Amino acid sequence: MSLARAYARGLWDGRLVLGYTLLLSFALFIIAPFLMIALRSVGKGWFGRLWLPPQLTLDWYRWAIEVGNIPEVMKNTLIIGIIAVALSTGIGICAGWAFGRRQLPGKEILMAVILLPRMIPPITYALGVAKIFYALNLVDTHLGVAIAHVSVCAPYAILVLSATFEGLDERVIEAAGVCGANALKRFFYVILPLIMPGILASMIFSFTHSYNEFTLTLLTYGPHTVTLPVRTYLAVGDGYWEITSAMAVIMVVPSLVILAMIQRRAKPEKLVGGFKGV
Amino acid sequence: MAEAMIEFREVTKRYGGLIANDRFSLSVQSGELMTLLGPSGCGKTTALRCLTGILRPDTGHIFLDGKEVTELPTHQRELGMVFQNFALFPHMTVLENVAFPLMIRKMARGEREQLATEALRLVRLDGYLGHAPRQLSGGQQQRVGLARALVYRPKVLLLDEPLSNLDAKLREEMRFEIKEVVTRLGITAMYVTHDQGEALALSDRVAIMNKGRLEQLGTPEEIYETPRSRFVAEFIGLSNFLDGIVQSVEGAQMILGASGVQVTTVALPGAAPGRKALLFIRPNEIPLLSADANMTASFAAKVEKVTYLGDTMDYRVRLGDGAELRVQTESAKRFHPGENVRIVLPKVRCWLKE
Amino acid sequence: MTDFWRTRKSVLTTLLLLFPALACFFGLFLYPMLLTVVLSFRPEGQEVGWTLANYTQFLTDPDGRWVILLTFILALGSTALSVLLSVPLSLLLRAKLSGHRWYRLFVLVPLVIPGLIGALGLLLFWGPRGWFNLFLLRFVPFVSRPVPVNYTMHGLILCYVWLYFPYTCVTTLSALESLDPGIEEAGAVSGADSWQVLRHVVLPLIMPGILAGSVLTFMAAFGAFSVPLIAGGNYRPLPVEVYKQISIPIPAHWSAASAIAIIMGVLQVVFLALYMRLARRTHGTS
Repeated sequence: MSLARAYARGLWDGRLVLGYTLLLSFALFIIAPFLMIALRSVGKGWFGRLWLPPQLTLDWYRWAIEVGNIPEVMKNTLIIGIIAVALSTGIGICAGWAFGRRQLPGKEILMAVILLPRMIPPITYALGVAKIFYALNLVDTHLGVAIAHVSVCAPYAILVLSATFEGLDERVIEAAGVCGANALKRFFYVILPLIMPGILASMIFSFTHSYNEFTLTLLTYGPHTVTLPVRTYLAVGDGYWEITSAMAVIMVVPSLVILAMIQRRAKPEKLVGGFKGV
Repeated sequence: MAEAMIEFREVTKRYGGLIANDRFSLSVQSGELMTLLGPSGCGKTTALRCLTGILRPDTGHIFLDGKEVTELPTHQRELGMVFQNFALFPHMTVLENVAFPLMIRKMARGEREQLATEALRLVRLDGYLGHAPRQLSGGQQQRVGLARALVYRPKVLLLDEPLSNLDAKLREEMRFEIKEVVTRLGITAMYVTHDQGEALALSDRVAIMNKGRLEQLGTPEEIYETPRSRFVAEFIGLSNFLDGIVQSVEGAQMILGASGVQVTTVALPGAAPGRKALLFIRPNEIPLLSADANMTASFAAKVEKVTYLGDTMDYRVRLGDGAELRVQTESAKRFHPGENVRIVLPKVRCWLKE
Repeated sequence: MTDFWRTRKSVLTTLLLLFPALACFFGLFLYPMLLTVVLSFRPEGQEVGWTLANYTQFLTDPDGRWVILLTFILALGSTALSVLLSVPLSLLLRAKLSGHRWYRLFVLVPLVIPGLIGALGLLLFWGPRGWFNLFLLRFVPFVSRPVPVNYTMHGLILCYVWLYFPYTCVTTLSALESLDPGIEEAGAVSGADSWQVLRHVVLPLIMPGILAGSVLTFMAAFGAFSVPLIAGGNYRPLPVEVYKQISIPIPAHWSAASAIAIIMGVLQVVFLALYMRLARRTHGTS
C-alpha cells in the first residue's frame, strides 16, 4: 500500500514509514552521482555554494566533440565493440552448444573454469595480455583491443548461450522431424528462431561489457584506439570536471537505455556472473 | 449455548476485484473437528489465513475462545498449524523444529527439549530427534509438523490440506492418526481440504464453501444425504440431475414428472402444479431391472455405455425423452449396451426453481 | 564397429565446439597469467635469469606492506558495508512496496556502468562543492566547513560500496525470494514475532546467499582498478600499484608489476579458499 494510504488509515505504522525512508534514501544514493554528472556537464559558472548551476550551456559538449575528439573515440569504441561481440558470440555459440546439448563429463567444473576470468579482476591477467600484445604487435590495433575485450565478454556469452541451448527442447525438434522437416529446415524453422533471443541477449551483454571495459583497454590501447572509457579517464587527468562530465554523460546514456530495455527480460543474476558452486 | 471456540462473523476479504470471502460466518464448537470443504478458489484457504492472521479481513470479525482477534498479530494468537508442504525449518533438527515455539516462549533448554521429545513420542518419531527434515519421508515430516503444532498445547489446531502432498495409501493412515491425536487431546480443530473423502471421514461437521460463501453446514451425513443445493449435491458423491415439473400436490406429498418418469416426494413449500423443479438422484441409488421385470413405479430405459470398475458397474442409460442417467450397481448382475432395462427411483430429492 | 566411430566422432565434435572457448581461456587468461608468473621472477628488464628480488623488494618495503593492508581494509570494509546495506534493502524489496520495480532496477545500475563513471559522479557528489557538503553546511548546525570525503579512505570505501554492493544484494534478494513463505508463516504461528522470525528462521536460511554474494563483492573490491585510479588520491591499493609500475617509470618495470600482480592473485585465492572453508564449516554443505 502507498505511503498516503498508510497515513489515511490512521495507522501510523512506524515500520512502513521507516521502510519508505530507507528506500528513498537508497534511490537518492544511486541517482545522486548521475545527477551531479549531468548537471556538471551543462552548468556554467557553477562555483561556490549553489545547489544548481546558475546558467545552462552546451559548451562543454561542443568542446568534447570538437576538441576532445569524441566522434572518433565513439567510432573506435563501436568498431572494437562489434569485433568483440562477433568473436564472443561465435565462441559462445560453439561452447554453448557443447555445454547445452552434448554429453560432457565434468561439465560443471569445466564451466567454472571457463568462467574463472570473470571472478578474477582483470588487472591480474591484463599485464600478461599486454606483454603478449606488445610481442605480437597487437597494441593500438582495433583487433587487438577487441581480442583483449573477448577475455571479458566471452564468459558471459558462454553463460547465456549455454542456458539457451540447454533450454532448447529436443522434443520440439523431433516433432518437426516427424512432421517432415529435414535437417536444414529444422535448423532454420525451429532451432534458429528458438535460440535467437538467447543470441541477441548474449550480444547485448557482450557489447555492454566491451563498451564499458576500461582496465584491459588501458593496457592495450594506443593513440588510434582510444575508447570512451579511456578518453573519459584522460579527461579526469586533465582536471576539467565539466568536460569530463560531458563525456561521461555521452558514455553512460546508452548503457542506461539498454539496461532499461533488458531489465524486463533478463534476470539480474546473469549480470552478476552466475558463478555456481561458490 | 456453549460459546464457540472459533467464530467468523461476516468476514469479507477481497483480492483486487475478486471476492475471496463474502460475508462468511461460521462457529466451531470446542472440541469439534470442523472441515472447510470446497473446490479451489472457494475461499476456504483465505478464511483459514484470516484466522491465522496472515491475512486481515476487509470487514467482519474473528473470535478465538470468545476473544476478538481480528487485528491481533499472528504470533499472539496461540494457534497450532499444520501446513500442506510441512513448512519445517530446514536448518534445524527435528527436535529443534518441535522445540522452536517453546524457545520463542523463553523456556529453558532442558525443559523445552523434554516437552518436544514428548510431543514427538506422541507421533512416534522419538527415534529421529537429531535428524534433518530432508532426511525424513513425507509422512514423517508431516508428523513432525503436527508435533510442532501441538507442543505448546494450543486450544485450536488448524490443518491446511495436510495430506495433499502424501501418496494415497499414506493419506489414509495419516487421516486416522490426525483424528486420533485431536480426539485424544480434546483440541478444537479446523481442517481445510478439497478432498470430500477426507472431509466425510474425519469431520464432526463439514462447511461446504463456494465462491466465498458458506453453501451448507452440517454433519457428513446431512451433507451427503440432504444436500441443500445443486452445488453441494454435485460436489459430494456422484449425481444425476433431471429437469422436471410439479404435476400435483396432495397434502404432504407432491408428484413430479421429468423425462418420462414420475416420482413422489415430500411436498416443498411453495410447490404448485406447473412449477419447475430440479431432481437429484445418486447413481448408486438407482436399482436396475431387466426389461421384463414386472414392478410398478419402474420406468423404461436403454443402456448406452457400460464400464467395468471392478467392484461396481457404471452404466449410462437413456430415458424415453433422451435424458441420460448415470447408474452404478454391483457387478454381480450385468447388462449390455443396447439392452432395454427398467429403472426404479426410490430416493429422489428435489429443489424448486424460480 | 560403427558405434565406436560414432562415439569417436561425437567426442571429436564436442571438443571442436569447445575449442574456441578453450583457446580463449588459455590464450587470454592462462597463458598471460603464466607469463606474468615467469616475468615476476625475472630480473628487471632482462629476458633471462631468475630472482626473487621483485618479491622481496615489495614485501620488505613498508610502503609495499601498507599497500597490501590497504587493499584488504578497502575490500573488507566495503564488503561489510555492502552486507549491512543489502540485507535490509533486500527485505524491503521483497515486501514489494509501491515502486519496488524501480528500486530493483536501481540495484542493477552500478553493475552496468563503468567504475570510472560511478567514481566520477561520487567524487562530484561528495566533493567540497557537491550536494553532500552543501546539505551539511546548510542544514546541520555544527558543520562550518566542508567535510572531506573525497580522497580519504572512508570516501574510497563508500565508492566501492556504491559500485559493488549489487553483487551482494542480488544474491541476497534471490535467496530471500526463494524461501518458502510457509516456513515464515509456521514461525509466526508458533509464536515468533517478525524480528524473531527474521533472526531464527530467515537469516540462517539466506546466509549462504549472503556469503556467496559477499565473496563477489570482496573480489571486485579487492581488484578494483579504475576507481582508486581516479578517486584514490594518495591511496594506492594493489591494482593501482601494478599499473603505476608500468606507466610511470621509463622503461616500464614489468617485473616489479608482475610480482605485485602475482602477490595480489595469490592473496585473492588464499582469501577465497579460507572464506569458503569458513562458510562450509558454519553451514554444513552448501
